[in-house]
Amino acid sequence: MRFDLDMPAWKWPFYVCRHPFEGFEDVRWKKAYNSKVALVIVLCLFLVTVAARLMTGFVFQMNFEKVFNIVPLFSSSVLIFFIWVVGNWSLCTLFNGEGKMQQIMCVTAYALVPYIISQIVYIFASNVLTRQEGSILTFISYIGIVWSVVLVISAMKAVHQYSMPKTLLAIVFTVVAMVIIILVLILLVSLFQQVVMFVYSIYTELMYRFSM
Amino acid sequence: MAALSAAVAAGVLTSSVSADEAYYGYNYNWWNDPVPSQNGYIVDRVVTGVDIGVGPLNTPSDIFIEQTTGKIYIVDTNNNRIVITDESFDPSKATELKSFRYGEEFPESQSKVQKTELSQPMGVFVMVYKEQTLIYIADYMNERVIGCYEDGTIFREYTKPSSDLYEANISFRPEKVVVDNALNVYAVIPSITNGMVQFSYEGNFNGYYGANRVETTAEVLQNAFYSLFMNRDQMMKRQRAVAIEIANCDIDAQGFIYTVTSSKNADKDILKKLNPAGENIYLNMGFDDMLFGDVATYYNGQTYASVIDDVDVDENGNVFLLDFFSKRIFQYSNELDLEFIFGGEGNQKGLFTSPTAVENRNGKVYVTDGRKNSITIFKLTEFGAMVQEAVEMFNKGLYQEAKEPFEEILLRDSNYWFAYVGLGNAYYTMGEHETAMKYFYMNSKVGYNRAFKEYRMDMIRQYFNVFMIAVLVLIVLAVVISKAGKIMKKRKEKAAQAAAGGDGDAV
Repeated sequence: MRFDLDMPAWKWPFYVCRHPFEGFEDVRWKKAYNSKVALVIVLCLFLVTVAARLMTGFVFQMNFEKVFNIVPLFSSSVLIFFIWVVGNWSLCTLFNGEGKMQQIMCVTAYALVPYIISQIVYIFASNVLTRQEGSILTFISYIGIVWSVVLVISAMKAVHQYSMPKTLLAIVFTVVAMVIIILVLILLVSLFQQVVMFVYSIYTELMYRFSM
Repeated sequence: MAALSAAVAAGVLTSSVSADEAYYGYNYNWWNDPVPSQNGYIVDRVVTGVDIGVGPLNTPSDIFIEQTTGKIYIVDTNNNRIVITDESFDPSKATELKSFRYGEEFPESQSKVQKTELSQPMGVFVMVYKEQTLIYIADYMNERVIGCYEDGTIFREYTKPSSDLYEANISFRPEKVVVDNALNVYAVIPSITNGMVQFSYEGNFNGYYGANRVETTAEVLQNAFYSLFMNRDQMMKRQRAVAIEIANCDIDAQGFIYTVTSSKNADKDILKKLNPAGENIYLNMGFDDMLFGDVATYYNGQTYASVIDDVDVDENGNVFLLDFFSKRIFQYSNELDLEFIFGGEGNQKGLFTSPTAVENRNGKVYVTDGRKNSITIFKLTEFGAMVQEAVEMFNKGLYQEAKEPFEEILLRDSNYWFAYVGLGNAYYTMGEHETAMKYFYMNSKVGYNRAFKEYRMDMIRQYFNVFMIAVLVLIVLAVVISKAGKIMKKRKEKAAQAAAGGDGDAV
């Protein structure tokens, strides 16, 4: 265990990146869960997702859409992040996980830092590289993804104090829980839509009747 | 008499000047959205059998133009004849080929006595070989392909092969036929999924040519799964997944054979360009997943897919595809860039109810309609001719020379995407890479990539000195700062030590 861990809160995510295996244990030991830092990271994730759509070089731009729509980008970054947090918390509290919701949110956000950095490098590099050098880009993005996945696993293991097999199992079932949550959300939204439509049609009907 | 001819001339003039076509020209942009464009082709005239002087046609199903002589051969299917005329459609030039006799190549019993007639011919192919016109007719109901001279003397008859390779229970009903420069005969038979049936000149069955690939559909996977535990007899009862049959074909001046499939479900091998080994050249050119015909597949509340029924290639390599569903003709350049879309469904001039075949010569496109029993002749507009000329130059590699025509095209139709690619290439060859990038942006990834590579090189060459000096300065600065930092640190430590020592002494 290290004893030189008295550092400002914003340094923790980078420390965790450099120590993928014991880093999150240190976070737990020092109680270095900082919601503000985590939310800033989530904001960065969102910005990077938007930037990847808008600023990736033309040669590497896969889906050039005519109309830029921010809603799918928001839901594929921020919304998914929070669904993950909620799903993981609701699953792991049932299975002896020690992590609280705030702690889960913090460590997951910390674990996303390599992905965000690799995306930033990707966006810059895609504007100076040609298609022949595209494998470098693929390499960069893969490194970011793999690193973040390793960190997420390590984070879950530390924050819930699970064994490795149990961590992996918990992650798989968290994904299942996320699917269920999304399904319920969609169902809810469409139901509310119908309720709103119903009320609105009654309103228009009444207006017709009274304006006669 | 003079007044009459003047009136006729005036009539011709007005009809040719009027630009109101029954269809609107369009093209596809970067997002595969249809955008209005100028018409590349307009109707020149519509001729019927009566105009040709051979009586009404009945379901013409194929048309062929011999490019050297300019003679036009029309397959008049339900009248069981081949109508021969030329581009003027002058009644005095028209003849018909209806009855045939066997030539001296056949046994005497046949050649002396027998005459033979066609029964629902579907396809015709003509070539001039050693100054002799050879006509090949796909005689559908008689289950044969006949090769004959212009006077109706049959020199060869290609019938159902008695080879083991040819399954005996499959009928031999040829719909189309092409002949290559070595006089090999390729017959398109709708009931065969192995490709075209290839005969040597002598009439020997050479095998199949240019089969389509089997599509990986759910059915194929299902069959693969069932075959794990079903026995042979059970599997025999299941429907076999087979490739989609070839619907039509053409051959270009270099001897490459083009084939099309008309299946709605096909999403590959819709158009193929086959080399002599029967391999699709377009695959190597990166057109594996290309969609032909209408790209937008949702129209008027229903989804649809193009049914490419005929293919025709001109002497410059332009490819004409006939879509039976939308009744439109799509012209592609030899690099498969979409140039024009024309025609449509309806009864007016230039529209079709049942288009059957497309053929071209000298910038004119001939389309037969099997229900209207007519031939519609399209001619290039000024815009069309300009595009043709520019694209032709472009494909020859004369990018710089094609710059002016492409600029002119953009003046007339700023949505014509290929002109941007052409201009991009022009500026690229002129060394103006940044301008080229501008033109390639959202028009050609390959071109943009090439221009960008050069542009990047230019930038590095231009700013290398500045860049290196900046890097050197930064390195020196970094070294100086770290050295200075170390010195400062040492001093601080010394001072602290001295202070600590002093304290110790004091206590």
